[in-house]
Amino acid sequence: MLGSYDFCGHYEWTFEWLRQRGGEPLVVKYWDEGIYQDSQRHATNLIAPLGFEGMARYWDHTLVEEGALFSAVKGPDFFRIDMTDCPSKGFLIRNGLVQYHDYCDHCMGWIDPLMRDAGFGIDHEHNHQGQCWWEFRKTGVPGAPSAPGETTPGDVRLRPDWDGGNVQRFERER
Amino acid sequence: MIPSSQAPADLSALPYHDTKPQGAADFYFGINATFRFIRTKFGLPGLIAYWRDLGTQYYKPVWTRWQALGLPGVASYWRAFFAAEPGSEVTVHEGPGEVIVEVKTCPAIRHLREHGREIVPEFCQQCYHINAAAAEQAGFDVRVTGGNGSCRQRFFAPIGGEPAQNLEEITRC
Repeated sequence: MLGSYDFCGHYEWTFEWLRQRGGEPLVVKYWDEGIYQDSQRHATNLIAPLGFEGMARYWDHTLVEEGALFSAVKGPDFFRIDMTDCPSKGFLIRNGLVQYHDYCDHCMGWIDPLMRDAGFGIDHEHNHQGQCWWEFRKTGVPGAPSAPGETTPGDVRLRPDWDGGNVQRFERER
Repeated sequence: MIPSSQAPADLSALPYHDTKPQGAADFYFGINATFRFIRTKFGLPGLIAYWRDLGTQYYKPVWTRWQALGLPGVASYWRAFFAAEPGSEVTVHEGPGEVIVEVKTCPAIRHLREHGREIVPEFCQQCYHINAAAAEQAGFDVRVTGGNGSCRQRFFAPIGGEPAQNLEEITRC
């Protein structure tokens, strides 16, 4: 059977299996239909009705269970996560597992449609080295993402190794 | 027969290693959802092809070890595998020419049921198709009976004449 212990290994392997059969559109569809709408419905059930509080409850549970090193902060009009050691990407790096060209895309792949449907937008960067940050704000609310260190001393962008990777950025529609 | 309780799990028998001793149970949601997505897009034959590809490709480090160590390697792998799966109750027995994995409580079915998830009807067939594809690479075969929460998996070196797996003997969920 497929195990939870090495889930990230066969999950990442599956991205490439799908890409070879249906190209990138099938991989994106998998993250939306398979992961967001099916696997992660417990996230939707918290975030859609409870907003930032639901985000706190969802990620506090899942990131602790997965063994992440992270911090989360809830502000009056935003929820922010700083990931300093992603358990998922970290597992792949430590075990030398690379089948799909950009594993980190899967997070935006399921979180973005969830947040859109729940009425939130995302500012996000990841450096492909197991580090990333996220800021969620309600759709239509003005405001730029915070400057490094502005909202939390745990801001991953303050780390000396943040720029050591290939940073990819996603900006919220304003 | 050597009950698993007399042979403690050795996590070095696993090909990949994590910083935590067991996986996160919510990942079973992802496994079940992935099966449903592939079954919807490619039908049951496509899902079986996915399982077999996993067995021959993703599980290459597993069956390579089985090739090298034989049935004791099969037994040590399953002891380590289920020790790393949260909520599993499993015993692994080694006998002459066979390894029997008795799954009293399947951790995946248990977690999915506890959380009210709709389980793909053929979910338990994964344990035949993935394991058979991997075992064949190492010169072994497998038969699975039961399912939907508990099952029996027999790994053996085929000597000819064994009846083929009857998929009807694997319980639908």
